[in-house]
Amino acid sequence: MESARRPRYGGTLRVEIGAVVKSLDPATGATTPGEAAAKDDIDPLLYEGRSLEGAYTGAIGSGPFRVAEWEPGQRLVLVANESFREGRPFVDSVEIRMGRAARDRLLDVELDRADVAEIPPEEVRHAAEHGVRVSVSLPDELVAVVFVAGRPATEDRRSREALSRSIDRAAIVNFILQKQGEPAGGLLPQWSSGTAFLFSTAVDTAQARNIWSEITGPRRIVLGYDASDSLEESIAERIAVDAREAGGSVTVAAIKPGAGSVNADARLVRLRMASANPGEALARDIAAWGPIAGVSADPAPTAMPQQIYDAERAIVSTYRIVPLVWLPRAYGLGTRVRDWKAPATGAGWPFTDLWLGEVP
Amino acid sequence: MTFRTKLFVVFMLALLLSVAIVAVGVAAVTRRAFQDSNRTHSEALVAQFEREFERHKQDIVHRVQGIADAEATVRMAIDLSRPKADVSVYVNDARGVSESHQLDFLDFAGDDGSIISSNELPARFGYKIDWLAQPQDWAALGAFLRKVDTQDGPALGLMSVSVVRVGDRNLYVFGGERLGKDFLASLVLPSGMRALLYMNLDTSFQPSNLVDESGPVTDGERFAEVIEWEREQPTERVFHIAWTPDAASGESFHLLPLLGRQGELLGALLVGSSDREVVMLERRIIWLAAGVAAMGLLLGLLMSWWGAARVTRPVLKLAEGAREVSEGNWSARVEVRGRNEIAQLAKAFNRMTEQLSEQRERLVQAERVAAWRELARRLAHELKNPLFPLETTVENLQRAKEQSPEQFEEVFRESTGILLSEIENLKKIVGRFSDFAKMPQPEIGPVNLNETVRGIVKLFESQFGAVGRPPITPELHLEEGLPAIQADEALLRRAIENLVLNAMDAMPAGGVLMLRTTHENGDVDLEVSDTGSGLTPEECDRLFTPYYTTKQHGTGLGLAIVQSVVSDHGGRISVESESGVGTSFHIHLPAKPPVRSPVAVVEAGSSNGE
Repeated sequence: MESARRPRYGGTLRVEIGAVVKSLDPATGATTPGEAAAKDDIDPLLYEGRSLEGAYTGAIGSGPFRVAEWEPGQRLVLVANESFREGRPFVDSVEIRMGRAARDRLLDVELDRADVAEIPPEEVRHAAEHGVRVSVSLPDELVAVVFVAGRPATEDRRSREALSRSIDRAAIVNFILQKQGEPAGGLLPQWSSGTAFLFSTAVDTAQARNIWSEITGPRRIVLGYDASDSLEESIAERIAVDAREAGGSVTVAAIKPGAGSVNADARLVRLRMASANPGEALARDIAAWGPIAGVSADPAPTAMPQQIYDAERAIVSTYRIVPLVWLPRAYGLGTRVRDWKAPATGAGWPFTDLWLGEVP
Repeated sequence: MTFRTKLFVVFMLALLLSVAIVAVGVAAVTRRAFQDSNRTHSEALVAQFEREFERHKQDIVHRVQGIADAEATVRMAIDLSRPKADVSVYVNDARGVSESHQLDFLDFAGDDGSIISSNELPARFGYKIDWLAQPQDWAALGAFLRKVDTQDGPALGLMSVSVVRVGDRNLYVFGGERLGKDFLASLVLPSGMRALLYMNLDTSFQPSNLVDESGPVTDGERFAEVIEWEREQPTERVFHIAWTPDAASGESFHLLPLLGRQGELLGALLVGSSDREVVMLERRIIWLAAGVAAMGLLLGLLMSWWGAARVTRPVLKLAEGAREVSEGNWSARVEVRGRNEIAQLAKAFNRMTEQLSEQRERLVQAERVAAWRELARRLAHELKNPLFPLETTVENLQRAKEQSPEQFEEVFRESTGILLSEIENLKKIVGRFSDFAKMPQPEIGPVNLNETVRGIVKLFESQFGAVGRPPITPELHLEEGLPAIQADEALLRRAIENLVLNAMDAMPAGGVLMLRTTHENGDVDLEVSDTGSGLTPEECDRLFTPYYTTKQHGTGLGLAIVQSVVSDHGGRISVESESGVGTSFHIHLPAKPPVRSPVAVVEAGSSNGE
């Protein structure tokens, strides 16, 4: 019995994710935010290090695992790299099944057919109620509305402000996310910047209504969201309801991957923190979405908190990027998984240090 | 148009009229029957809808009540009744519950009306349904129509509210079904009928809100006017729409307003009944009638022709008989068949011709007797005058022989002279009668009537202006270019001279003698008129009778000879006379006389004769 507490080598870690990764080549861009996030989790398993600019160093397979089998978009089997400089992982191999539906992932981990499964934050409570061991990371993924620059419906700052003020972020956290995550007022989480509390997250329907009543131009805003992301869909619909209650008009539009240009005034996006460093994280977010929103800032990774706050405030005050909620990463763990540590922000899956125990 | 054709046309018109009346009548009756049937169907469908609607209401009430009574709902109500209850746990419950209870709409709302979970608009959690928390006996209200907000926009729902009360706190269960094409599809409609639903969800008529069981109605704009009326004043209506100029495309609608809890118009059910079947039936009837009419006409054509021929055949025979009679065939008879009116007419015709023949025979005999009497009278009269001197002379001879023999010789010479003279007179008289009896046959040759007339007038010129008698002025109106006719000039000259002499005799006090010639189609006409005292109608009638005369010393043979000459030339002579004005004789002569001389035709004019 006590042997279970002592790490042991061996076994295949069965992992299920919802995203579909079609290429392991870092030079090949991801087609969806989910694929990009999954690649961010897989790449650290294949490369031995990472430069300060975020690029992975070494050849593929120089990391803790090497690719054994690869079925693009479906299945990836990694085997332990015996010569990894930081030591061989405990598990012999990792089998990653991709494109699994959330319900199937939850069911598989509940029935011990998977050892690690990604769980949508809104399903954490449900999974826990069904006895699934759940691991939740710090909230490091920002859901935000990014207004597309140059759109007539949202060129008026008041229109963007009215929409921001009409959104009930607490309701999104409490109901849609089932109390996972936290309302977001800034572009960095409180645990990272320490200044997030300075940005208001409160709903102000009355003020939103006043602002919208003053707007004489086009008022209908088309809000696009990732058609494959049910969470984005729920949040978008809630935004539409909130806007309507405040006298605004928001129409939601599903955007399919690879659909090209979409006639949307704003996009609902997920901004996953690339680093725990607030300056670096903010810089990467702005680099990713700033051109679309028509904003720019270049905080240095070594910038002082005040400078970061000022840059953050400057962007948020334009209402071109409207933070909504911070999401954690949640995983369901099978009964075999030992020594699991919630993944750190900017780091990949913690498969190097975990080991598989006997099934009780 | 012949009598037979007229009869045939009448038969055909009667037949056509009958067929048309029957066709129109049948079509009208059929149309009325179908309209009544459609109206009945429409009313039945509306009644069915109302029953279906009521059944749906009860069903929804039961289903919503079932949700409220479910253990999970009661547990939810108990949980939510606790202080600081976490309502977010139930945010997705409405979706699963509504699916299991087959409801399109379902909301769970807290004691203050705040939405805990919504199926139709899941993102609406937290917002209040104000009217839900107001005091209301929801159980007594039952199901009601309501405009419901959904993710796809407003919809029309048949809703019900049930309340789960725990302690002093309520949990409202508000659910129902969408009224739309699926609801319409659940209605069983007779053939040719359809149901439409207008959902009054916008501030003005929107065609997209008018649906049938397959979706938005094509050409929904055609309902705009009626729907706007309905929006202003909700009431049941019946109206008609002609979709195309084709009558078969028409459709009658029965509109039933659907009102909400506050009496507001939320929708309208339109039960449409197509005119196609009625129109098609009408057309079939018309085509059938046309076919029957065509066959009837064909049959009628034959029957009418046969009937008309059958009816008109005796009439035609009668006409033929009448024509023969008019041509002088007094023995013409018509065959009599049957005992109908035509047969009676034929019998009457036959009787008439028989009587005419008998009367003609009697007349001929009478005229013959009269002629003989007249001849005898004339002979007696003519012979009596010479006989009296003969008798006297012979008596004088006898007396002289007996009483004065010495003078006998002288008396004898005188008496024989007288006797010879009177015998000569008797010879002359006999000669005239002999001449009439021996009228020569005409010797035909070309004759210029104008020249003949001129010659006669020249011959009588000296007598017209003779000393001691009033003058007679001849007037010639001779048409230029008068064609020559084939005739015997000598006989014609004799006849015309006779007429001229008669005219002169008729004008003892002088006057005007007018001779006129005309021609037409080769035939020529001659008119000889005087300005004498004229003749009576009776004289005109007998004027051409032999031995009839109005003169003191006439033989009565002159005009008879004239008539004989004209008749021998195939012509006809007539007389017109007016007392105190004068007398005119009209002679018509054909260009060429017939081979055999027809019977002379004498036309007596109204007036006097000579």
